[in-house]
Amino acid sequence: MAVIQVNDLTYAYPQGRSVGPCSFTVEKGEFLHVTGSSGCGKSTIARCISGLIPHIYHGKMTGEVLINGRSTLSTRMWELSELAGFVFQNPSMQMLGNTVEEEIIIGLENLGLDRAEISGRLEESLGRFGLDSLRGRDPQTLSGGEQQKLALAAITSRRPPVLVLDEPLSMLDVSAATELTRYLSLLSRSGTTVIAFEHRADYLSSLPGVRVMALDSAASVKFSRRRASASCPDCKCGAKPLVISNICVNAGKTRILENMSLTVQSGSVTAIVGRNGTGKTTLLRAITGLQPFEGSVTVNGKKPDFGLVCQNADLQIFNAAVRSEILYRVNNPDMKLYARLLEILGLGRYENTPPLILSEGEKKRLALATVLIRKPEHGVLLDEPSLGQDAAHKHTLMELCAEIASTGKTVILTTHDLHLASMADRIVVLGPDGVTASGRTEDILADDSIWARAGMFVPGWITEDERKGITA
Amino acid sequence: MMKQDAYGMTGALSISESSPLRKVDPRTKLALCLAASLAVMLPLQKVAVFFVLYFMFLAWARLLPGALRQIWKLKWILAVLFVVDWLVVSPELAVVVTLRLVIVAGVFAMFFSTTTPSELCLALVWMRVPYRYAFSLGLSFQAVGHINSEWRKILEAQKARGAFSAPSGWRYPVEQVKNLVSLTVPAVVLAAKRAWSMTEAAYARGFESPNRRPYKALLMSRADWFIVSGAAFIFILILSWRLP
Repeated sequence: MAVIQVNDLTYAYPQGRSVGPCSFTVEKGEFLHVTGSSGCGKSTIARCISGLIPHIYHGKMTGEVLINGRSTLSTRMWELSELAGFVFQNPSMQMLGNTVEEEIIIGLENLGLDRAEISGRLEESLGRFGLDSLRGRDPQTLSGGEQQKLALAAITSRRPPVLVLDEPLSMLDVSAATELTRYLSLLSRSGTTVIAFEHRADYLSSLPGVRVMALDSAASVKFSRRRASASCPDCKCGAKPLVISNICVNAGKTRILENMSLTVQSGSVTAIVGRNGTGKTTLLRAITGLQPFEGSVTVNGKKPDFGLVCQNADLQIFNAAVRSEILYRVNNPDMKLYARLLEILGLGRYENTPPLILSEGEKKRLALATVLIRKPEHGVLLDEPSLGQDAAHKHTLMELCAEIASTGKTVILTTHDLHLASMADRIVVLGPDGVTASGRTEDILADDSIWARAGMFVPGWITEDERKGITA
Repeated sequence: MMKQDAYGMTGALSISESSPLRKVDPRTKLALCLAASLAVMLPLQKVAVFFVLYFMFLAWARLLPGALRQIWKLKWILAVLFVVDWLVVSPELAVVVTLRLVIVAGVFAMFFSTTTPSELCLALVWMRVPYRYAFSLGLSFQAVGHINSEWRKILEAQKARGAFSAPSGWRYPVEQVKNLVSLTVPAVVLAAKRAWSMTEAAYARGFESPNRRPYKALLMSRADWFIVSGAAFIFILILSWRLP
């Protein structure tokens, strides 16, 4: 029996963007993985299934969505929330509680459960998602991955028969993502219908019984396995290495980085990977000088000049058009570089578009352009650049990184995406005690003991070619 | 111990876990706030006595440093009002208005540094405020607590992309305006996005369900009754004090 029926669904936002038409059905207990390129409407369809469209969005919807035979148009929102739980793309913006515990309790209270039942489900969720030790923390102080787990715990504790997830793995490290996909698979086998809108296809495609639905053909684009700086495989062009010596960073009474030392070669692309909360973002902030630290960070004995692209592009965007955003406060801009950035980052058709109406992936690429146009002396730092990006754009991004590195500059990116990391020249693995290992990508990927020490592993879908560094 | 976030203090609304008032029922604290708000209407001598007692109470509650920080933020307003009242009306009015404002700022600090938005929501619901308004008000106060850290993140992000220029001070007004725009626009956009996302998240978790049953319940302990009756006693004493 079809639990979800989507019939000729279209939706047009008041600003003009439209999605659809699309039709599909999902059976009870089925696990559906929906793929599609950035901006193709995955989040919109997810909102239509959860009922947020049309209940709190006021664009134009045609067609219908039926959940257990009930139309989302005529069923009240609170009833729909019991039929279909929805986990959003950006967890930090959806936190309602003051503490981790409260965040889970809010949804359970609305189900009308008694106190004992709420307590039971609360403990179960905290345990399942490893949030026990964080129960009293303010959700806003958690790392992105921890927030994503909390968002999932808050919804799954309500035990909805249908679970709709918008990019649920985007901020999770390899262990947490694998654990979550196993949990989702278990839920699906026990009768919960799971629909995941997700770019990181490998985690889901390795599960048995997952049906894949592509919203457009671009979703099937695969990564090229070309190393980022293939022209410089030995990474010996590091004339200006970034030297990080014994840096310590505290946040309140918590020590985030302790006596960390690392040398990053210039002329190469370095990927920093590690479990959620190991201090990847903090390290980037320390390199740019935004984060106070003890110790030293230098290039040729001087304070380095790096451009940083933040995880949340909204923090960096404020102009009225893409063109003015990129060229803002740039003295004597290199217009050839400007044109090239527009082309390579797929922003050419948006030159006069207000940046705020771009998709998350497009905003992220715009933020990168605003940094690159300034030609920072020593290179660029990218914090989780693959968030919200489809495979084609990830590939383009790495091509661009390779191009920057080929000019002798340093490119450092943090990522949970091991495909992306496998395209870098070097990988730095951060563990609970700081740098677990640092070296050439093929060496790091080939040594399972390194990953085990960092509490991670290289999943089976990372191919032998990627492990060995064979380039396409 | 004050709660810290990854960027340090989340702002003026950080919860002071070490205060004995932290465990006090929010209704008791609302009653104290009401009493203090009424007390500021009293004449100068009585306000002065209340002022001393109230700050002794804040010191006992380990909230004096936080309250003083709040008051310090108002220093320019207080100074201007004091001077204007002194010059235009009388020194007595200048003193009484200043004391009143300082007490009100202290009351704000006392309540919001010991009460979480969800506790405020519970107290409002007990006062028959409809849940949807109480919940929304609680969320608003919660969001205010994040403005500080969000503002700092935007500042860092703009510096990181080179959109925040170094020259500062009154000699560079154009640069200052540009800097302000580069901070304000993302702040407004993020605040609007956060508000919308929170609305979505609330509805996705069954907000407005008629079946809702609260998990936590308010409970007046002995300490609450002691504080309420003590405050009432002092309030009546001050009211019945016959001035010469």
